[in-house]
Amino acid sequence: MELKMKMPDLSTTEGSDIAIVQWLVEIGEPVTRGQVILEVETDKAVQEIEAIASGTLTAKLVEPKEMVAVGQFIASIEVKR
Amino acid sequence: MSDGNKADFLLGLLERMIEIREFEEGVRFLFLEGAMPGTIHQCQGQEATAVGVCAALAEGDFITSTFRGHGHALAKGLTMQEMLDELFGAETGCCRGKGGSMHMGSMAKGMVPGIAIVGGGIPLAAGMALSLKMQGKNDVVACFFGDGAVAEGAFHEGVNMAAIWNLPVIFVCENNLYGASTRVDLVMKNPRISDRAAAYGFAGETVDGNDVLAVYEATRRAAASCRAGEGPVLLELLTYRRTGHSRRDPCHYQPKSERADWAARDPIERFASVLEADGLIDAAGVEAMRTGVIARFEAAVERARVAPQPTLADLETEVFAPEAAA
Repeated sequence: MELKMKMPDLSTTEGSDIAIVQWLVEIGEPVTRGQVILEVETDKAVQEIEAIASGTLTAKLVEPKEMVAVGQFIASIEVKR
Repeated sequence: MSDGNKADFLLGLLERMIEIREFEEGVRFLFLEGAMPGTIHQCQGQEATAVGVCAALAEGDFITSTFRGHGHALAKGLTMQEMLDELFGAETGCCRGKGGSMHMGSMAKGMVPGIAIVGGGIPLAAGMALSLKMQGKNDVVACFFGDGAVAEGAFHEGVNMAAIWNLPVIFVCENNLYGASTRVDLVMKNPRISDRAAAYGFAGETVDGNDVLAVYEATRRAAASCRAGEGPVLLELLTYRRTGHSRRDPCHYQPKSERADWAARDPIERFASVLEADGLIDAAGVEAMRTGVIARFEAAVERARVAPQPTLADLETEVFAPEAAA
């Protein structure tokens, strides 16, 4: 089952976009729930984003330096059921 | 208490702490998933304060809480279902979907919905205790607040009033060492918060807040003293939160060594080892308890996702107190 992860609501100022810093996992690699897969920078601090499910990372939908809105899809994870 | 009742009681404390931990962990991922609006303030690592205090209270006693109130609510007997419904904004939530994470509560279960203003619950608890006393009731109010509330003017006003009128309030300071990102020693010349009670003329005690039985015993003594009309008690419970102040806080200010030290004092693992040493449960039993809690949590999430949302017609319902009869 494919699960699409959205950008979580991490910014301190309501409605401000979040910058992508770097990916910490490559496409095709396994991820576990709670594993940090992406670093982003909000209006206040660099934050780590954790995978919300265990499986395989199948797509990165955002690139470093890109500004992303809360709720935008950021990654696809193939989840084992 | 008979041995059997005592065993059930102790296992109940463990299960309630595990319920709080797993509730918070599950909610953390629901937040990351974008399933609920707003931010959340979580209490992983602080389970023993909520459970130890609430287990020592009697029916009829009240608590006031803070923006970090999920643990207090579960410890006071709110169900995971009514809390998840609340987080999803459903009309079946404990506050009909109008409170959300920061205002969990249920007057029927003795919990004033969470008060998000730092220190805001302190004068309110004194007022509630005054009301209980004037009505001749024997109930007490346990007022939860954090270390950050102690330097607020509301602390002085509420605590002083409770002191001069001998009001039945247990002031419960969960000292987790940080007011948001500010460490206590940067904002307190005397970081021993329980010492402040002496300035108001009543008893204060510092307790290992990651030891659920120590918290329970201290609260039981404090409640007995309140019921005996001896006035308020200040309990400082030393604990530590494992998460940021809110989900938007990456918590870079907590040193790794400090985090590791407190992780080694995890309230759930510690109490589980005590009960294992007493032969009341084994490691497999603890795991089964955790699995059971997670299954109940996940079932509650599925129901919360489809729970009915309030409509426009509900906008003003349950917002104002009903008008008193003329």
